[in-house]
Amino acid sequence: MPIAEQGYVHWEGRLDVRRRPWRPIVRLGIRLAFRRKAFKFVLGMAFLPTLVFAAGVYISERLDDFKEMIRGADRFLKVDPEFFKAFYASDYLLFWMLIIMVLAGAGLIADDLRHKALQLYFARPLRRRDYLQGKALTLCFFLLLLTLLPGFLFIVLKVIFSGSFKILAEYPWLPLSVAAWSLVAAGFFSFYTLALSSLSRNRRYASILLIAVYFLSDIFFGIFYGIFRDPAFTLLSVKSNLQQVAAALLGAKPFFEVPWEYSAAVLAVLAVLAGVVLSRKVRGSEVIK
Amino acid sequence: MAGGVFRVLSFTGRLVRRARRTKVFAFLCLLPVILALIVRAKALASPGRGLDGLAIFGNIIVAFGLQFLILILALFFGTSVVSEEVEGKTLTYWTTRPVPKPAVVLGKYAAFVAVLLVLVLASTAVAFLILNLDRLDYGPAWSFLGKSLAALSLGVVCYTAFFTLVGTVLKKSVLFGFFFSFGWENIVQYFPGSTQKFTVMHYLKSLLPGVGETSPNVLQFLMFRLDPSPAWAAVLTLLVLTAVFLALACWLFGRKEYLFDEG
Amino acid sequence: MSLVFKAEKLGKWYGNVLGLSDVTIEIGPGITGLLGPNGAGKSTFMKLLTGQLRPSIGSITADGQPVWNNTSLFRRVGFCPEQDAFFEDTTGREFLAGLLALSGMGEKEVEERAGRALAFVELLDAQDRLIRGYSRGMRQRLKIAQAIAHEPEVLILDEPLNGLDPLSKRKVIRLIKDYRTEGRTVVVSSHVLPEIEALTRTIVLIHQGKILAQGDIPYIRDLIDAHPHVVAVRLDEPRRLGALLVRDPSVQSVAYGPEEGLVTFETRQRDRFFGLLPKAVAESGLDLREITSPDDNLQAVFDYLVGK
Repeated sequence: MPIAEQGYVHWEGRLDVRRRPWRPIVRLGIRLAFRRKAFKFVLGMAFLPTLVFAAGVYISERLDDFKEMIRGADRFLKVDPEFFKAFYASDYLLFWMLIIMVLAGAGLIADDLRHKALQLYFARPLRRRDYLQGKALTLCFFLLLLTLLPGFLFIVLKVIFSGSFKILAEYPWLPLSVAAWSLVAAGFFSFYTLALSSLSRNRRYASILLIAVYFLSDIFFGIFYGIFRDPAFTLLSVKSNLQQVAAALLGAKPFFEVPWEYSAAVLAVLAVLAGVVLSRKVRGSEVIK
Repeated sequence: MAGGVFRVLSFTGRLVRRARRTKVFAFLCLLPVILALIVRAKALASPGRGLDGLAIFGNIIVAFGLQFLILILALFFGTSVVSEEVEGKTLTYWTTRPVPKPAVVLGKYAAFVAVLLVLVLASTAVAFLILNLDRLDYGPAWSFLGKSLAALSLGVVCYTAFFTLVGTVLKKSVLFGFFFSFGWENIVQYFPGSTQKFTVMHYLKSLLPGVGETSPNVLQFLMFRLDPSPAWAAVLTLLVLTAVFLALACWLFGRKEYLFDEG
Repeated sequence: MSLVFKAEKLGKWYGNVLGLSDVTIEIGPGITGLLGPNGAGKSTFMKLLTGQLRPSIGSITADGQPVWNNTSLFRRVGFCPEQDAFFEDTTGREFLAGLLALSGMGEKEVEERAGRALAFVELLDAQDRLIRGYSRGMRQRLKIAQAIAHEPEVLILDEPLNGLDPLSKRKVIRLIKDYRTEGRTVVVSSHVLPEIEALTRTIVLIHQGKILAQGDIPYIRDLIDAHPHVVAVRLDEPRRLGALLVRDPSVQSVAYGPEEGLVTFETRQRDRFFGLLPKAVAESGLDLREITSPDDNLQAVFDYLVGK
């Protein structure tokens, strides 16, 4: 195998059989994110829906006690797939997840490109996929904190407050759905963020791209839907596609009259495109034309 | 001072023309044209359905331009006036020339605004032409275009000045700018009464055509809950705000020390 | 006549961290080397000198005018910053021409001066390439070019030799020396002692934000009364020479080895000792191979001053 394809390998040393070279990258990424005060504030804001919905789980078992306060709203406090859909597909949660991606993710690759750190990374026995894995898992950590953790928390709280496993008996696939959606959201947002971060050496520019692409896709959906009244334009919006897939995976009613498989396909295509971008941009050496 | 501003403007203009990301933002500014082409193509494909070009121009192109495009452009370019030089550690080259510090801020601001105005106004005008090819002899349509372009122009000028100030003061200028643009501006503009006057968007919308008319107009969407100010007051307020933002930015830039991250 | 910079009890704090403390110094024509380890305060001083930072206490003036916010000074001052930062999407010529134009020169003059500066730093061949594609040495030379292009009386260079290969270092050292013509002032900072020694004999030693000493190397060396000079002599019969000189009051101690034929003398009266040594060698007929003064260099001076 040519040297250029091997990366740096310490021929005389012994590498561990079960290497996880992405671990230090993940640890560093998480540490750096938590160093910023703004990030802690944003993470706190992103957890608000978890608190609200957790309270909802509690109230759902105490409807009589809260009858006066929640008059008319009791149908929203039934903990079922629609409840989970309302949480996961809420504009608020998706918005704060985006902000977290901006704060924790916009500079993940952009800063390495600016400081020419990729050469340092790849001068170690680190493959490109280890590097990208490390970066992606940093983002997945935060995303799963906001998706997987609350989802399981709601199920556990429901079991505790109801004193029975009724919810699991009624919807046995719910934990799997929560896990599946969490992985889809984490995976998509990670690819999306890393690809846009790799497009520039300027973190600020990457931040604006992250925000602009997300909102622009939604605005375009709104414009074309407003003119042509065709739900197929849902496929233009990143947010709408995520909401469609969330509804489908959670076994709830979809938002739009568009097959959820199409939305999933759009997200998959975007993820593949992101992968292509990353494979071109993340290199050990820079080719200057 | 004026000479210094012009020299900075000239050099910045050259730098902006060369920058790769200018091409990306130029593409972003083409979106109204692309939208207009798609709508026009769809109308041509379905000849039975009439196309109200002015309504689509007003409710979509102008709305898109005013509530998204100029905000994103002003956010990036406005904060770039100072932040980009600090992040790129090239600020030293500007501050070790015989050019007054305020001239650096004003010259760069002027260069960015000039580029943005060309991009935004050109694309908006082309989008208008595409959508209204069949009523170019309709006088009020041109007046509509003129007022819309005026609103967009003042939006570029005022928002860029605001974000120039933000970029001069704050390190996390993009995040603050984002919350301001898509939080404060997008929400408070719909508050009833005089609260909406605490947004720049209120004054921009007060300049739009058909403001204050009782009969429904093509900009119903944008006029939602708008309690418009008189046009002269809106223009004056926008210009005063621009002057204040720029004056503050110049003053702060002259007094502030910028330390580069050594990391 | 070149500008004269005066710092009067100059101090700079970054929050609780001391950058510079109680610096009083005058910098005039000639090459002045600012020497100190990393974190000593050299860059802080350079930034105060060029108005990038405002003094926390004290003052820094150029011909009596405060430097801070006095951008008109930069008609006569050129600054080469430490950081490796450029407008990467421009060519070398465009970069220089753009910065020269900021000084208010006409197009023709800009072109001429840019050409001269590029020729001076030997970048004419690469002038139309994007800076993004320049090597480290080329980038460093381009930084120097932008500092000298408007032919300032004062040239301030912050770590100009950082990251350069030996050949490029020699080129840059030559450039700096060539630039120093009659009446011009050059201030150079470095943490590498041989670099400063190659450039100038007039140095300012800085450590932990304070100036330890300033002057030429022998002068600074003579200030250090507490530490005797060391002179090492290599010859066939070291003990004979040692015996001849040990009784002289200028000789504090004599040591032999570790290598064969080596004798080391410590003396507080260098001039007297150097008068004595050749006389003793000539009278005794000893065969001398080598005389060195291991601590008659900046490293030793610096080490003594910081108390190593």
